[in-house]
Amino acid sequence: MTRRFVAGRLAQAVPTMTAILVVSFILLHLAPGDPVLALAGEHGDAAYYAFMRQRFGLDQSLPQQLVTYLGRVVTGDLGSSYVYGRGTFRVIMDRAPATLLLTGTALLISILVAIPLAAVAAAKPHGARDVGISGAALALYSAPAFWVGQLAILAFALRLGLFPVQGMTSAGSAATGWSHAWDVIRHLALPAMVLASQEIAVLVRITRSTLLDELPRDHVRTARAKGLGEVRTVVRHALPRALLPVVTILGARVGHVIAGAAVVEIIFGWPGMGQLLLASLQSRDTPILLGLFLLISLTVVLANLLSDLMYAAIDPRVRLR
Amino acid sequence: MPGFDGRRRHANALLALALVAMGCATEGAGRDATTLVAAIETDPGQLNTAITTNGSVHTAAALLYDGLVSLDDSLRPTPALAVRWEIEDGGARYRFHLRRGVRWHDGRPFTAADVTFTFEQLLLRYHARTRASMAPALAGIEAPDDSTVVFIFRRPYAPLLQQLDVSEAPIMPRHVFAGSDPLRNPANVAPIGTGPYRFASYTSHSEIRYTANRDYFRGAPPMSTLVLRVIPDDGTQVAALEAGEVDWIFSVPGPARERLRADPRIRLRQSPLGAGGSNCITTLGFNLDRPWFRDVRVRKAIAHAVNRPQFVERVLFGEGRAADAPISSQIAFAHARGLPIAAYDTAEAARLLNAVGWRRRGAGLRTAQNVDGVPDGTSFTIGFKAMPSQSAYGDLLRAQLHAIGIDLRLELLEPAVFAASVFTARDFDTALGAYCNGTDPEIGVRRMYAASSIAPVPFSNMAGYRNPVVDGLFDRAGAAIDPAGRREAYRQIQEIVVRDQPYVWLVETVNTQAYSVRCRGFGGVSHFAATAECRR
Repeated sequence: MTRRFVAGRLAQAVPTMTAILVVSFILLHLAPGDPVLALAGEHGDAAYYAFMRQRFGLDQSLPQQLVTYLGRVVTGDLGSSYVYGRGTFRVIMDRAPATLLLTGTALLISILVAIPLAAVAAAKPHGARDVGISGAALALYSAPAFWVGQLAILAFALRLGLFPVQGMTSAGSAATGWSHAWDVIRHLALPAMVLASQEIAVLVRITRSTLLDELPRDHVRTARAKGLGEVRTVVRHALPRALLPVVTILGARVGHVIAGAAVVEIIFGWPGMGQLLLASLQSRDTPILLGLFLLISLTVVLANLLSDLMYAAIDPRVRLR
Repeated sequence: MPGFDGRRRHANALLALALVAMGCATEGAGRDATTLVAAIETDPGQLNTAITTNGSVHTAAALLYDGLVSLDDSLRPTPALAVRWEIEDGGARYRFHLRRGVRWHDGRPFTAADVTFTFEQLLLRYHARTRASMAPALAGIEAPDDSTVVFIFRRPYAPLLQQLDVSEAPIMPRHVFAGSDPLRNPANVAPIGTGPYRFASYTSHSEIRYTANRDYFRGAPPMSTLVLRVIPDDGTQVAALEAGEVDWIFSVPGPARERLRADPRIRLRQSPLGAGGSNCITTLGFNLDRPWFRDVRVRKAIAHAVNRPQFVERVLFGEGRAADAPISSQIAFAHARGLPIAAYDTAEAARLLNAVGWRRRGAGLRTAQNVDGVPDGTSFTIGFKAMPSQSAYGDLLRAQLHAIGIDLRLELLEPAVFAASVFTARDFDTALGAYCNGTDPEIGVRRMYAASSIAPVPFSNMAGYRNPVVDGLFDRAGAAIDPAGRREAYRQIQEIVVRDQPYVWLVETVNTQAYSVRCRGFGGVSHFAATAECRR
């Protein structure tokens, strides 16, 4: 049953992603700008740019380029980056682990922090703790990530010297094994917390409101009447049901986290796909951009699929069809 | 609701854990005493500087290579791969004697064949500036023996020695590139050069590592390792310098300059040279195809309304200087002094506009009355295109032109879109360009005025200016070998374009670099680290 569901969903994803690819291809090519400028630099003459355009196959008509491109994608070839002169897939895969580490850690931090905070806030709605937590969540939610990131660098890295300012490893580090892992963790902490801060804000607000719906219900009252402690009541009886919508939201937030990661990566010099995305936009490196769009849409599709599967696992009433 | 103590205990434990983790994180990043770390803004993608003029590639890779000559601070050629040279045939033939005993990083000897190959197969095809300026004049390059190279031109060619340094003409190894597609050669990301540093590793968007070339012909660099860190955000670059994570940054953002100057751990220095472009003048261009700019009095009026010192003060934070000629003061031999450049004078601006027919009532916008090519009653509202990094110029210009009753509509376009809309579509009224004059007017000045440079090419003749006299003078200057003759031709050009005012030359910009006081001995921008030394 589950297998059929997954296969069905994946099959649905094929036309969606094809459409995303075609629309992005057309939009990118209709936008003004020319990769040759970034590649070759300025100060050339017209003959030079015509020569370079032909060298990169940019002198063909748009439909011709689209057909060539789609034909390649079907065979699993995403083309070659103009800037890196290497296969798109390899260029992206070089950068993907860094982004995965950053976004994964941020999501994990946000879940671990947000859900307990939401439980505390929901315990006494409109009490001092709730007002404090909800207020802080709202403030974080309204603060743009680039600003929070810069403040975090100034306060925690520069003033207090607790974390490195930038990068994923120390400059010129030759560390391997555990000392390398520790180096990465030190560099990861600040950007992951900044990225998580945005998600914490959303998660706290949602979990708190679903918990508030759940707490007055009969089964919670029964649990209390049985003499269960408050913590146990909330954790075992109220939270599981309250978390159902949160799982859905989390799946839908994955795309948002990746977008937020781009900003955080640029501020912290984190060598991930977000930096690659921005650099490729500026240089009009369309093969890389299309490859990234493809990967990001695939991630969003998979995250939604995963959240549906989790939903079924947590909630016995849900049957996947 | 009672009984939340348990949860609070959990929360406290978490907090304590976080604090421990943070405490541990303070252990310093132990860095090798012989490593120099510099920040770069953009991942270069590849490291072959002969096939591009892209500034990020040149910033990252210039240290791997050498030119035939180097340029000193006043742009005079000094020996590099060539130890001496002779100019023959009245400037139509240059003979270079190459340094003997130079070896490529892979141990193979450097010879004249590398030079001819580099020019014929790489620079004259793929290096935008060298191709555009040198290729039309060059008849051929010969290597009579292993240590001699002769450039033969169709006519006397004056600027050659300014075009042979590492940024205009880096020399590449023939044995690596021969018979390959230079755009796809694996050596572009694992390069071989003759320069002071050799390539060690490249992790894209993270860092590039170089090690000192022990056999460098000018002597090995003092530091054994150079790490170039990719840090896209300029604020983060400054923070990384302050935190001691990097030793050198190529460019200090204006707002951070005062803070760094006050910091005893950091030194600043200025240079008109930069890897992306040298001796730049930020210039306002008029689209001369637009009817309201056909009358020179309108262009003069706008020039009189511009307060250039205010740009230095408010946009450049006091660094750089108000432009007083069309050619940069850093190209001393060509820069003309005492030109009758339009001074800040709003009364004169108003007089000129009234004379043309742009009338003003009170403090409102001017409207047209009997202005040639403009319907009566049209209000003086013009567009202004610039790149987002130049928004401060636009804001100030808008305020200054508003004072004489002209409304400027600012349109900020990202670089690729700017180039397409201004130079390809020519869809603009006025636009801002950071025109870098380069090391010789032939490289970066001619393209602003020559009729042949009105082309869909970025930073060519933006105004669409045509003047056969000026074109002829540029030809004369390019072919004049005696300095006095060149100087005179450039002086006449500047007098004419100041009179015709196709542009308003606003400010000469400089690059401010910053470095840690622990380091000293930095060289020119392209080979900045060749002689640098840091104590830890």
